[in-house]
Amino acid sequence: MTAMTLPEFEFRSPETLEEALKMLWEKKEESAVLAGGTDLLVDMRSRIKRPKLLVDIKRIPELREISYNPETGLVIGAAITLNEILKDDTVRERYSLLQKAVSLMCDSILRNRATLVGNICNASPAADTAPPLLVLDAKVRIASVKGFREVKIEDFFKDVKRSCLEPWEMVTHVIVPDPPKESKGTYLKAGRTKEDLAIVGVAALACKDDGKRVRIAYASVAPTPIRVREVEEMFAKEKPLPDLIEDVISVVKSRISPISDVRASAEYRLHLVEVLTRMALFEVLGGVQDG
Amino acid sequence: MTEFKYVGKPFPRVDALEKVTGSTTFAFDLEVPGMLYVKLLRSPLPHAKILEIDDSKARKVPGVVAIATGRDFPIKLGIYVGDRDVLAREKVLWVGHPVAAVVAESLEIAEEAVDLIEVKYEPLEPVFDPIEALKPGAPIIHERLSEYRRLPTFRPKPGTNIANVFTLRKGDVKRGFEKSDLIVENEFSMPQVSHVYMETMSVIAHYKQSGDVEVWSSTQSPFTVRYLTSICLGIPIRRILVHAPCLGGGFGGKAGLNMEPLAILLSKKAGYRPVKLVLSREENFTSAAVRVGLKAWIKTGVKEDGRLVAEQIKYVFDAGAYADYAVNVGRAAGYAGTGPYDVPNVFIESLTVYTNKPYATAFRGFGHMEFHWCIERQMDIIARKLGMDPLEFRLKNLLKPGTSFTATGVRLREDAGRPDQCVKAVAQALDWGEVPSKPKEPWKFRGKGIACLMKGPAQPPNSASSAIIRFNEDGSVELQVGTSEMGQGTITGLAQIAAEELGIPVEKVKVRPMKSTDSDPYTWQTVGSRSLFMDGRAVIEAARDAKRQVLELASQVLRVPAENLELAEDRVFVKGEPWKEISLSQLVMGYMHPNGESVGGPIVGRGRYIATGMTNLDPESGQGNPTIFETFGAQGVEVEVDVLTGEVKVLRIIAAFDIGRIINPMLLKGQIYGGSVMAMSIALYEQMTFNEEGRLLNPNLTDYKVARANDAPSKIVPILIENPQKDGPYGARGIGELTMLAVPAAIGNAIYNAIGVEIKDLPMTPENVWRQIMKQRPELIEIAVKQLGGVKQ
Repeated sequence: MTAMTLPEFEFRSPETLEEALKMLWEKKEESAVLAGGTDLLVDMRSRIKRPKLLVDIKRIPELREISYNPETGLVIGAAITLNEILKDDTVRERYSLLQKAVSLMCDSILRNRATLVGNICNASPAADTAPPLLVLDAKVRIASVKGFREVKIEDFFKDVKRSCLEPWEMVTHVIVPDPPKESKGTYLKAGRTKEDLAIVGVAALACKDDGKRVRIAYASVAPTPIRVREVEEMFAKEKPLPDLIEDVISVVKSRISPISDVRASAEYRLHLVEVLTRMALFEVLGGVQDG
Repeated sequence: MTEFKYVGKPFPRVDALEKVTGSTTFAFDLEVPGMLYVKLLRSPLPHAKILEIDDSKARKVPGVVAIATGRDFPIKLGIYVGDRDVLAREKVLWVGHPVAAVVAESLEIAEEAVDLIEVKYEPLEPVFDPIEALKPGAPIIHERLSEYRRLPTFRPKPGTNIANVFTLRKGDVKRGFEKSDLIVENEFSMPQVSHVYMETMSVIAHYKQSGDVEVWSSTQSPFTVRYLTSICLGIPIRRILVHAPCLGGGFGGKAGLNMEPLAILLSKKAGYRPVKLVLSREENFTSAAVRVGLKAWIKTGVKEDGRLVAEQIKYVFDAGAYADYAVNVGRAAGYAGTGPYDVPNVFIESLTVYTNKPYATAFRGFGHMEFHWCIERQMDIIARKLGMDPLEFRLKNLLKPGTSFTATGVRLREDAGRPDQCVKAVAQALDWGEVPSKPKEPWKFRGKGIACLMKGPAQPPNSASSAIIRFNEDGSVELQVGTSEMGQGTITGLAQIAAEELGIPVEKVKVRPMKSTDSDPYTWQTVGSRSLFMDGRAVIEAARDAKRQVLELASQVLRVPAENLELAEDRVFVKGEPWKEISLSQLVMGYMHPNGESVGGPIVGRGRYIATGMTNLDPESGQGNPTIFETFGAQGVEVEVDVLTGEVKVLRIIAAFDIGRIINPMLLKGQIYGGSVMAMSIALYEQMTFNEEGRLLNPNLTDYKVARANDAPSKIVPILIENPQKDGPYGARGIGELTMLAVPAAIGNAIYNAIGVEIKDLPMTPENVWRQIMKQRPELIEIAVKQLGGVKQ
């Protein structure tokens, strides 16, 4: 059945993190955290999720934080919307890779509601913010009544739509360290229209001071967003760049497992991985002729 | 040229302010006291016998008022063929076919209860592809096809899945091919698509104890809903009242009869209480009517000099499980199927075929966008084989007003419009012949394409319209017309026509967007780009009738013959002596002399129009006159193709139409912008995708992609050409649907121009274009990869 209504639920809107965490602890699996609701409410309408308690976190002051300092990097609270990220000067100046990925997400209307933390908590393989966060070595701060913990973004994603979060836990912030000096990043995305989920998404970050290492991560080609670490050392090798790129692409292809679905065939996704990787490397390495 | 005061001016639409402020009420928003809510149970199987329906658990849910299944309603519905069940009876015919309906005190209760209904099915072999459905031994979807009520125009083939066969014969196609220097054969196709109107199917019905029925429906056709409900349910027409509030889009999907009978019958079953039936977006995709799919085969013979000699066409329209309206889509594409060209020898067979998929209905363009995709791709392919410029080839073969005969043997009126002017205007604006500029990325290529089009309204030969003009005390008028407001804006154009005739400002012509069959005058349906022409003629007649009455009364008062008087700017005055005048407000409710004696009375003008000169078509040869006008046009595009991803970006669309007379240039351009982008969306993105079990995989807007603002070309250039048609209102022809027709083929032609890859199947999604590049010109990808510094693996 496709319902037009939502299943019955209790709605709470706590003003402190402690209250919110207590509510989650009490209801555990029967609770859900509500930020923008752009994934959660859709899942509730289709009855994929039937939480008895919705904990709206938008009134909790520390979750409305977006800040930067050179030591910790960029801190994005769980209630910060995608449009708030786009408006942030630091993001635009220092995290252009993340800025680009966010700007390619859904549309301006939805970006007024949707949050970056919600995007990663939904743990879709197609999460557009995941590949940039993966190549930027982001960390996820998780809170529960038991205290705080921090996990690497790479360890956060476990499977299709599954993260490492326990039912009584919530993500409070994502922390993105300062990108390596003189690095250049990009995010390329293939979709069926301009406002689509990623059929394939590629984030690439070239770090000049780091032995010409390039970090690459993908959306929509595996059960989770994935950073292909194996290719990173390859760029340190003394090899003509065109040959290197061929090696990189074959390693990437061996590490991913794209599926066929209504959005694209596996065959087309593989092709896109190859061409988007080439385009991304072309862009971050400033063209390959000089390699 | 005559100078007009109100016609031809860009008046903002009469419903604009309410709509942009969100205060317009749609059927979706309406509530009626005591109203109950309906939820449908939909079939999970594409083709199966219904063995047993157990609703005992659902009945026990508190708040459930009634549950109905197909057995409760042994009635067949339909506009041209009565093949449609109210709810599935005996068999389900597609995944999404409504099997049962729950009526409850709230939508939540109805949704809860519907899941508790248990249905036992015996699966039957399904057939999804219309070509497979035509083969001997294919599963038969309608075993009782011969028993269905139908208009004599339609010819089903009982014992098969063919809902209608339309044939057209002109000249001798065999001899035509013998005389041809070159014969070109191609196959083209497109999938079923959805209308994706913003307001999903919404209806409230109240079957009253008195026997009266009142309906509020998001419908393009309140009078047809009333008429067909009367025929199908056996309720006297005078007892049925249908209201059509503003529609949140229709595009043909709300033409004819839709879910109104189900809601009416459920209201009766629920103890004569009003019920509301609204579909969710997902339900609308699977259970409301969609657009036909098409498989086409075209064989064309031409002379070396580029003259078309013969054309043989087979169109197979995929109607899905019901074809009550789709049979006429197949027929319309059949009689118009050679497009705007003069072809002396033609044979067309146009079949409408049942499959186990959602059923199809009218869709903006009514079969014409579908066949223009095929014909206009075919024309480019032929031109290329002849080594001719596609523009020159078209100009050589376009129909010529006054001398050419259409495929149905009608000699075109001499004022029918100028297709040649349209295509030349497009070519000029598109800088035809000039090579497009090169994008900075070497893997992107630009190209230009052009395509021509024509269409007239597909309506019965007795299709009619009427109009009433009533004066208010202050000299303003109530203009009443039956045509629905579904976003197209015709009522504003009609108000301008009334203002022009009456000599009163447009602001003083009030026309209510909501229609009610008991208070608005009859019009057949709001379809086929017919309303401005048909209702427009009726409005002119009504206004002239009212004006005559005003002048006759004024003639008594001013003591001069009526023909010496003029009506302008809210007053009547003597020609040449404008100071001898009387205000309109002193006349329209009757004139009172200073001593109190009165003459005249409230003035009411009436007007009507009926299709003239249309005939039934000969059942074998398809010869006859199927339309009251044809609107000609041409559309051109410039595209940019990324050979690495297959992505096609439309950079600009140029669209020229011979609309006869511009009534409102702002609304006209609005139609052109909207129709061009809608057609681009269908060309590039839209398709209903089914799995092997016939289940729709994209019943939502996440995966059924529709163009949004960011996808639209940054440049759409309308070119408005005016060669008036003598019997049109001020010479105007229809435009609404026409704006779609040639865009897909123009894009296909432009892609070939850009990269030399021939696309024959819609949609031209990035993946489909990539596949064709891999098949036809893989070297393009290899070269592009090299330019990125690599070797394609």
